[in-house]
Formats: sequence, C-alpha cells, structure tokens
Amino acid sequence: MKAEQILKLPSMPAASPSYPMGPYRFVNREYMIITYETDKDLLREAVPEPLEPNPDGHVLYEWIRMPDSSGFGDYCESGVVIPCLYKGEPINFTAQMYLDDEPPISAGREIWGFPKKFAHPKLEVCSDTLTGTLNYAGQMVAMGTMAFKHQASPGGVEAMAKAMTKTQCNLKIIPDVDGTPKICQLVAYNLIDITIKGSWLSPARLHLIPHVNAPAADLPIKRIVGGKHFIGDLTLPHGRVLHDYLKS
Amino acid sequence: MKINDVITLPSMPLQSPTFPRGPYKFFNREYLIINYRTDPDAIREHLPEPLMPVGDTVAVQWLDLPDGEGFGAYSATAQVIPCTLDGLPCNFVSQMYVDNSPPLAAGREIWGYPMKYGKAKLNVIGDTLTGTLDYAGQRIANGTMVYKHDAGQQRLAGTNHTYAKETEMLARTQITLKVIPDIDGTPAIAQLVAINFENIVVKGAWTGAARLSLIPAVNCPLADLPVREVLGGMQIVSDLTLPYGRVVHDYLAK
Repeated sequence: MKAEQILKLPSMPAASPSYPMGPYRFVNREYMIITYETDKDLLREAVPEPLEPNPDGHVLYEWIRMPDSSGFGDYCESGVVIPCLYKGEPINFTAQMYLDDEPPISAGREIWGFPKKFAHPKLEVCSDTLTGTLNYAGQMVAMGTMAFKHQASPGGVEAMAKAMTKTQCNLKIIPDVDGTPKICQLVAYNLIDITIKGSWLSPARLHLIPHVNAPAADLPIKRIVGGKHFIGDLTLPHGRVLHDYLKS
Repeated sequence: MKINDVITLPSMPLQSPTFPRGPYKFFNREYLIINYRTDPDAIREHLPEPLMPVGDTVAVQWLDLPDGEGFGAYSATAQVIPCTLDGLPCNFVSQMYVDNSPPLAAGREIWGYPMKYGKAKLNVIGDTLTGTLDYAGQRIANGTMVYKHDAGQQRLAGTNHTYAKETEMLARTQITLKVIPDIDGTPAIAQLVAINFENIVVKGAWTGAARLSLIPAVNCPLADLPVREVLGGMQIVSDLTLPYGRVVHDYLAK
C-alpha cells in the first residue's frame, strides 16, 4: 500500500476501514429524550471548563434508534446530554454515550470526540409504553418510559427541526503513542438537512442505577421535567474546534 | 471540571474514562497462533509503505485475555504479517477483532491497533484447542489445533523450559498503522507505530498440527489473505506488559 493511499484512508484498519468518509446521513432516526433536574454542584463537576452548565440544573437523558445510517448500519444509542453555555451562547454538551455498533463508536470518538462506549441500549414500543433500556456489561443501568404520542409538540415538526439545529459539542481526547495528550479539544458541530416527520410530548419517568463504568446515575434525578419523542431524517457533518486545551 | 484537570484525563468520557493510563499488564495471556502460506501479491497490497514483505507466510492468532489491567476479561483475533522496516524484522498487525470496548478504544487511540468489534473465542473443546471469530452474526474464522501433543516429548527430552525462542517471538517489534481523522475529516494522525512487549514470561508453549478456515466477509476480510497451506500451530501461555509505543514513520511529516 502506497503512502498516497494511506493518506486517503478514512479510518483504521487499512484492510477494511471501520468507517468511510463523512458526512453521514440518518433516515428515520427516532429519539426519546427525558429531561430531568439534577444536583447543580454535581452538574458543574461533569461539565468541562470553559463550558458553563445551564442554570436550571437540567439534564437530557436520551435514547436514539438509528435503523438506516450511511456508513454505520442499524444500531441504537443511549446517553447523557447537558445543556450548557459557551461564551453566553446555548450549546449542548454530550457527557456520556452508549451504543451497540463499533463503526459509529470509533468514528464518533475519533472524528468528533463523542464519549462513546459499547453497551446494549434498546428503544421500543412495548404495548402502550415507549420504553428505553440500557444494559452495560450485563447489568441494567437505565430505564426510561414515556406515554405513547399523547400530545403533538407545540409548533409541530417545524419547531422541532429548528431546535435540532442547536450547536452541540464534545470533549475530544486522543492520546499520543507515548501516553501524553495528542488532541484535547472542545469540538462543535451542527446537524444539517433536518426533516422531522413527527414530534410528541408525553409524561415520562426515568430510573438510573449506579454503575462505575456507565455512571449516568452520578447525576441523580431530583425531578422529571418531561418527555419528548420525535422521528426524522438528518445529516451529521464534520465539525470545528471551539477550544484547544493544548494551546491555552 | 477545571481546565487543568481536563488535560490530565486518560481518555473520554470525562465522567468515566474508557481506559486508564498505561502501561497495561496481562496475566495468563494465551495464544493460538496458526502460521500459513498465502498469496505474496496480497501481502504486498496489505503492507503499508515503507514496510517490506518477507516471504509468503502470515499468521492468524487467537488471544484469550482473562486478566488485562485496566481492560478486564476478553478475547481477540488478529492477522499478523511478518515484514521488515529499514531492514529490521517486525510484525505488521493488519486486522484485529475484540469483544470489549476499553481495549478497542485504547488500542485504536493510543497505538493504532486496527481493532473492530468481533466475537473472538479461544477454548479447549474436547480434544481440540479451538479458536472462532464471529463478526456481525456470521462465523468468519475457525482455527483448530491438537491439544499439547508434544508435551510428553518435551518432558522425555528433558527440554530446558526457558522458552527462549517463544520469548524472542513475543518480543519481536509489532508495527501498527495509526490513522485518526481531524474534526474536518482531514487526517490528524497518520503514523507507523512500533510496540515491544516487556516483562515477558512464557509459562508454557506447545506446537502441533493445526487447520485454519477463513470465510470471506467485507467488514472482516481475513480471507483476503487466503490460506494456501497451513504450516502449523503454536499455543503459548504468558504474562507480559504492553507499554506505550513510538512513532517510526510519520506520513504527515514533510
């Protein structure tokens, strides 16, 4: 294999790259997001400076089903997102993510710094209940339930599509081969080409079980704010560096 | 979290890093190594320049890793191509499949081990040392070896069990191709990385007849280096340490 071919590789291994070049298109991506209020001191600990956590102490616990994702296949994801401020502007920080498919884990970590680990999340309609579960290393660590399509969300699909354009960010850390940090950045991206096909609000509950390697419960639930359920098509493009910790 | 704490994190995510800092020591690391002859043109295609091929022999290895510090208990399958770098003998690790996310993430992000998620297993089943690899629900590789057939002969011959040959084999320099994209999709890292195991203690080693079956699959293409002739199998039980590595070629350096 020639040096020119190596520089064109989208990812490892050269023999069959884990993921192709982006952008990545998602069709019929289905979300259940349960918003809850947590301890503000613990929230401060979970958010890297220079981000500031939202003053309400809100956390979004998400399940996302992705049946048709270009380059990645069919998989499911679950995780913790913290609404934050960056220089006074609203931004969502992804704090934890668990999924059951290696290419989006590797691409997520290596391109954008999504904090992804391998686990077994599930999002399904079980009789009258939209049900999300997360199993990590054989143990259940999260269970979310939401009433099924009780109420269309205010503003309809257009308002939800607009909300989905909100800037999101991750803490990307890649070590160098000697163990020192090679990349340590806050990375931002915005979803594009968003079409929302349905969007609902309903009552919800969330249960988080303490686990050292999947510590969603480290941000304990004080009060459930509500549940959102929506489905749509969207594109995840490359991103940009917001803050470089190795340069400051 | 304070900025000064952020730069000391060993890995993502902040709240529970996927892997701690190394080095990483492995206890009772067991190998089934099957050496086989393949197509020399396919070897040439698989080796990144400036690595040079050596002969037509490659290996598929199964690893049982019951106690890996920082990583836990898991199994792996690897394809390894003997080669040279500037005349020095080394092994290029071309493909690797593991069933555990901390070593998968650490492997890719620190050293550039070409790891994907696959279900590797190494077991003694009846009279057979058996390695299997399933990827995306399909059986891709099956390696079998006779179980310790030469143990009696080793004992009769009064073999001096220093395992010098096996230790030297495990100490041979490994080379990986580390590729990490930048946030805009351009390459941020494109390097050949060299790794040498340390503190190698071989606790047992056996050779014997083996067979290997590789089934073509697009995302787990071990069969792209087809089996022409199986040369034999080797079983090794060891303790060893995986330290950090060093950059031996940087494709982005001008």
